[in-house]
Amino acid sequence: MTATEGARGRAPAAGRGAPPLPVKMVVAGGFGVGKTTAVGAISEIRPLTTEAAITEVAAGVDDLSHTPGKTTTTVAMDFGCITIDPSLKLYLFGTPGQERFGFMWDDLVQGALGGLVIVDTRRLDDCYAAVDYFEHRQIPFAVAVNAFDGRVEHELDDVRWALDVAEHVPVITFDARERGSVRDALLVVLELALARAEN
Amino acid sequence: MMAGGNAAGADGNPGQPAAEPVGRAPAVRPFLVTAGRVAGTSTGVPLPVETQVVSTTAGLAALDRLSFEHRDIVAACRRPQSVAEIAARLRLHLNVVRVLAEDLQAGGHLSVYVPSAGTARDVSVLRRVIDGLRTIPDSRGALRDSD
Ligand SMILES: Nc1nc2c(ncn2[C@@H]2O[C@H](COP(=O)(O)OP(=O)(O)OP(=O)(O)O)[C@@H](O)[C@H]2O)c(=O)[nH]1
Ligand SMILES: [Mg+2]
Repeated sequence: MTATEGARGRAPAAGRGAPPLPVKMVVAGGFGVGKTTAVGAISEIRPLTTEAAITEVAAGVDDLSHTPGKTTTTVAMDFGCITIDPSLKLYLFGTPGQERFGFMWDDLVQGALGGLVIVDTRRLDDCYAAVDYFEHRQIPFAVAVNAFDGRVEHELDDVRWALDVAEHVPVITFDARERGSVRDALLVVLELALARAEN
Repeated sequence: MMAGGNAAGADGNPGQPAAEPVGRAPAVRPFLVTAGRVAGTSTGVPLPVETQVVSTTAGLAALDRLSFEHRDIVAACRRPQSVAEIAARLRLHLNVVRVLAEDLQAGGHLSVYVPSAGTARDVSVLRRVIDGLRTIPDSRGALRDSD
């Protein structure tokens, strides 16, 4: 990776040399499940935060003059990246998992290779919205149970049962703080995506 | 369209200058910056968040003549950046960056590379990502703050 970074560091400025092909994966889940931790564990840059939405009602509306009573929601979205090679870059977007953020997911998830839904077994229902979303959009995804303190409160089969995910959806455990563990979780999703693309 | 003088009143503080919260993008300002337009109105589809943006030689040469956010964006894109990255670094709303990037592209100051729609099902791309990820070691070196 160091060699790649060095080469990119000397890349000429001002638009010469095509930028890498960008691809992305989405890391979703309820509050405090470890999204930022997971993105940060594998990203080669310190995770950044973007404010992703303007107002919930304004999406797609032309007149954005700020009428009183319109709710302005800003949603923090994590952002990290991994340079695969000089011509291919993987972006990771961490996004909150509430139903009412669905409008933002459409935007974010469009064209994503896949999704990882992080789950804290102490608060399973926090992830229903994200699971539903990926299932309905037919985006390859896996459910990753974050093993807080190395412990998972429920057996994976119980989690699968509780979430009622389809049989083809992998349910795995991982540690959001461990780079190798996050890498392997993303690979599970990518293998699914590949299998689908090959069909 | 909102006149500059009305901006302060929009957040419920008539007559007070709108305080810009530290560390997050201000809620009102986007509408001013983009003159009330929403991303994607020209093409119908907003730029994907991973869209790569690079300053052109002409854009960098014109830096001194560009105003505020336009200048910041062109200056930030000496090396390719994603739309999301620009928004995060400049603390601008994603949709603001989308609109401004399209403006700057139209003016010849930025090159905008929109990824093609079929990439997510491209077997060779997926294989490259998988192979690339597999080479990532379990532990890591120091994090960089930027590319
Ligand atoms: N012990 C332990 N703590 C963890 C683990 N993953 C995350 N944490 C901690 O849990 C807290 C929440 O993690 P975040 O990564 O901020 O979670 P998040 O999903 O980004 O949270 P929000 O953005 O607030 O929704 C942080 O204090 C982390 O340090 C884990 O695997 N084990
Ligand atoms: Mg977070």
